[in-house]
Amino acid sequence: MEATDKALQLDAARALVSALESDDIEETQQQLMILTSGHESELFNEVGKLTRELHDSMANFQLDSRLVDLTNNDMPNTRDRLNYVISTTEEAATKTLGFIEDTLPLTSELKQSADDIEQSWHRFRMKEMNADEFRALSKEIETYLPLVKAHSDQIHANLSDMMLAQGFQDLTGQVIQQVISLVEEVETNLVELVKIAGNRNEDRQTNNNVVDPIKAEGPQINAENNDNVLNNQDEVDDLLSSLGF
Amino acid sequence: MKILVVDDFSTMRRIIKNLLRDLGFNNTVEADDGLTALPILQAGGIDFLVTDWNMPGMQGIDLLKAVRADEKLAKLPVLMVTAETKREQIMTAAQAGVSGYVVKPFTAATLKEKIDKIFERIDAQ
Repeated sequence: MEATDKALQLDAARALVSALESDDIEETQQQLMILTSGHESELFNEVGKLTRELHDSMANFQLDSRLVDLTNNDMPNTRDRLNYVISTTEEAATKTLGFIEDTLPLTSELKQSADDIEQSWHRFRMKEMNADEFRALSKEIETYLPLVKAHSDQIHANLSDMMLAQGFQDLTGQVIQQVISLVEEVETNLVELVKIAGNRNEDRQTNNNVVDPIKAEGPQINAENNDNVLNNQDEVDDLLSSLGF
Repeated sequence: MKILVVDDFSTMRRIIKNLLRDLGFNNTVEADDGLTALPILQAGGIDFLVTDWNMPGMQGIDLLKAVRADEKLAKLPVLMVTAETKREQIMTAAQAGVSGYVVKPFTAATLKEKIDKIFERIDAQ
């Protein structure tokens, strides 16, 4: 091919691509005419390749835009959702603990009074009690019975409130379900992205960072499948005793 | 007997405090990580330390090491109450001189058993 011919046809090919990009049908046809007039199959191949690349990058761009959308909108939203889970569960735990701490002294007081009365009652049954002591005992019983009623009512109310405080489970469960679907979508998109990029980066190895073996990780979720993780207190005790504890 | 309870979650501190009260330990103080715990320990008067592992600031394992490295605190009994259950972690805690290791979630009975065991060992010395 003559050098000037080649330069002309390359110009035509570039013009064709930009015509395609701007949806200019007339210009596209004109440039195609110029190209076909040359009957150079090599150039046709080149155009074909450029068109395919254009198509691919358009298709990939759609994927990218979903990822951009996920990053800009869904991720911050998810952070808010997870923060909601933290605050809701914390609130429920605090409420429940409050009701428990209110209830424990009530049961202690009932038990203490019952113990006292039981001892006096025993002495009365053994005929070890004089009239004054018996009058005191009657008075004790008289104040004890309404106390039992009042405390039982309060304990009942506290237990009901504790039950209601467990309502968080429904709300946080729903939010976590939404987060799981989002994570699945991000995962699918990332896998696609890795596939596309993967062809060019096959030789690039995955990051093999050395992990600190005692780094705190919080609760282990799939402990059964990990030999390095102990499943319960008994296994921990066994390990410690094997170390001479 | 004065006990310092160290955990970054206030609910867990409350649970432990309530369980300790049931076991007859009414005198407890709280800290939310190693950095806030250490000055309390150094000020003196703490007889027993219950600590979580995973906390911001200073972690429980580093608090344990700091306690063992401090001449005045070296003998303080330290009970770790944590969700960390990797083999290396437990071995590290043992080597660092932890007195007991309770895995979360735990029961009142487990907590009692470990505390009893620690005091048995101290009494035997």
